[in-house]
Amino acid sequence: MTTADSQTRPRTATAPKRARAGRQGNRVSVLDRPGPSNLLYILPGFLIYGAFVFLPILAAIGISLTDWNGISSPVFVGLDNFAKLFADDLFYKALGNNAQFILYYCVFPLLIGIVLAAILSSVGTRQRLALRTLFFLPYIMPTAVLGIIFQWLYNPAFGPFNQILKAVGLGKLALPWLGDFHFVLPAVGAVATWYFFGFCMVIFLTGIQRIDPSLHDAAKVDGARPWQSFASITAPLLLPEIRVVLLLTVIASIKSFDLIFTMTRGGPSNATLVPNIYMYQLGFQLNRFGYAAAVALIGAILVFAVNFVIHQTMQRLDKVSQ
Amino acid sequence: MHHTILQRLRLKAVAGFAAGGLAAALSLGTPAIAQTLVTWDDYTDVGQNAVIEQLNKNFVAAHPGVTLNRTARTFDDLSLTLKLTVSAGDGPEVTKVNQGAGDQGTMAQQGLLLPIDDYIAQYGWDKRQSEGILARTRWSDKGQFGEGPAYGISGLGEIVGLYYNQKVLADAGIAAAPASFEELVQDVETLKGKGVTPFVIGTAKQHFALHLIAGIEQAHIDASNRQTLDDLVYGRGGSFKTDAGLAAATIVQKWATEGGFIDGYQGISGDDAVQLFVAGGGAFLVSGTWQFGAMQNNPDIHFMPVPPPAGVTKPLSVGGVDLSWSITSNAKDKATQDLGAQYIDYMVSPEAATIWAEAGFFPSTPLSDPSVVKSTVLSEGLAMWKTLGENNALGHYPDWASPTLLKTYDDNTPLLLAGSITPQAFVDAVDADYQAYLATKK
Repeated sequence: MTTADSQTRPRTATAPKRARAGRQGNRVSVLDRPGPSNLLYILPGFLIYGAFVFLPILAAIGISLTDWNGISSPVFVGLDNFAKLFADDLFYKALGNNAQFILYYCVFPLLIGIVLAAILSSVGTRQRLALRTLFFLPYIMPTAVLGIIFQWLYNPAFGPFNQILKAVGLGKLALPWLGDFHFVLPAVGAVATWYFFGFCMVIFLTGIQRIDPSLHDAAKVDGARPWQSFASITAPLLLPEIRVVLLLTVIASIKSFDLIFTMTRGGPSNATLVPNIYMYQLGFQLNRFGYAAAVALIGAILVFAVNFVIHQTMQRLDKVSQ
Repeated sequence: MHHTILQRLRLKAVAGFAAGGLAAALSLGTPAIAQTLVTWDDYTDVGQNAVIEQLNKNFVAAHPGVTLNRTARTFDDLSLTLKLTVSAGDGPEVTKVNQGAGDQGTMAQQGLLLPIDDYIAQYGWDKRQSEGILARTRWSDKGQFGEGPAYGISGLGEIVGLYYNQKVLADAGIAAAPASFEELVQDVETLKGKGVTPFVIGTAKQHFALHLIAGIEQAHIDASNRQTLDDLVYGRGGSFKTDAGLAAATIVQKWATEGGFIDGYQGISGDDAVQLFVAGGGAFLVSGTWQFGAMQNNPDIHFMPVPPPAGVTKPLSVGGVDLSWSITSNAKDKATQDLGAQYIDYMVSPEAATIWAEAGFFPSTPLSDPSVVKSTVLSEGLAMWKTLGENNALGHYPDWASPTLLKTYDDNTPLLLAGSITPQAFVDAVDADYQAYLATKK
């Protein structure tokens, strides 16, 4: 990755110079002064963060150690909720479903996005702008709205998907998509893929623009075919972008709720149940807030664990490619 | 109409002024006292919303100085928010609340609802509605359902029954609605043979499959044998592993897997199924009287009890009353509680019943003038209500029996209908949930 390094290193190298230039003037910026006094400036943000993120997390940890119906006084039960959780088939089913959803939230959008980015980077500027806007459009819509829209599109009685299938003589494929145990997860997942691939594509397009064009020119001169050029130059140099996309989409898949909630509420028969929907059902429908908090904590730990693994793996790949 | 904190503060300020003004008003001999009553209900349906707005207007007109601050929430939203809001000391002073262990039982146990027995006696509500109906809001101090103080009373009745489309049946060569369960089973086969959809149902949303299974199950129970079902639902004990339960699960699975239901029913919501049925999409639909508003748009549609099998003369029909009106712990002082009771009294009054009936809805309080009823299905429903009352044959929603039973039904009915589990496994799963609940009560 010498090209990338040669582009980025000079930028970082100039930064201290600018800072020094500032200090050499008459005044030193208050933000550049060392010492704890500057901590005061982060206080407003820290207070908001503490009130809306840190304290709720602490509260969730506390609640997860209790048996609480949301109304009466919580009863301390230690780690009972976690013990029950690890013996709960439904929780494992939710985790299994979530693992499948990672394919649709993360892997498919990444693959489609990188391929589309490679294609769009080779077309004219106007066409690229038009297609980039078109593919990115789904990402600007709230996923809850998408869920409601697609619920109608999938409707077996009135929805256009099945109407079209019937009109072209493929009536046997006109399934009750959101009511079928086998197809409901791919049906919901397809919406997630459609939502995320444009986002992935835009990130990759930005990354491709960072790559020195002379590398592709040199490969072309050496007789490399487009796919060889993509596999040997574009893909390896996009590792930083792939890491960002992976982190963001994996987080999105593990915290998935609104799309699934609006389309299936985890049904039928828990076929699309994920930990967050399960947490909602336990807390707000069954009044088991202690157990729901335990689900939430395990979900949060999962997000950190999976992202840690991704981070480590990508770092290793980065070193290997260098 | 959701309240902001500022609105709530304003309301409390108004209530404070009202309380403070009470003494002044009395000393001056002024009859009108400014007071705001915060109410929550679940009348989000367009037709029901129009009626409750009219009733509220009438109540305010009859109580000068009283202001109503109403919030309407869907059934699910009400269930999700009510307990937490009232326990935090916010929200309604008078509210609709779902009966059963999950909502009303929990709130009564925690003192979030006030007993209304004194008001029942004061206003004579027990003369308007039978003890069998009122018992559905009773909770003892030990958490026993169906006993102890009453915590609410309902304005609308509910029966789950069989809707049938006379024209669709006639076109298929079936002259009359089925008089027995055996005839219903035969009609389904006849309709299938003619290429007509027998049952319109949607299982993607709402609880139509549960109502179909429970409707058939309870039609197999004669009123003379209802004690077992009463004990079961009121949490006194028993088992869901009954012959009637197994028979219902078996026939419903057969219909679902052998073309008895509308194509694609798994992906259709209950509301969509009603629209399809009104449009003539099938011969039968099992649901409740709350569908009258939509059903009366097709004059070919009629309403009847789910027919019983041979040997059952007075079959039970699933039903009861809609969410009950209750007074919450937010009504701190006697004046607010009394005003809440006055409001509820009007909601279950013969006058309110007439307004509901004129709009095509099904009041639980008897009508003083039945001629106001114009809708065929409503007339049929009211006649059924009378017969069920005479026979003591109004059944129960089975999911009231435990706080988790509705989810257990929701999880297992799609598996039953798809043929993924046997009818026996379905009944076993329901009973396992119930027995687990009973164990927690010991």
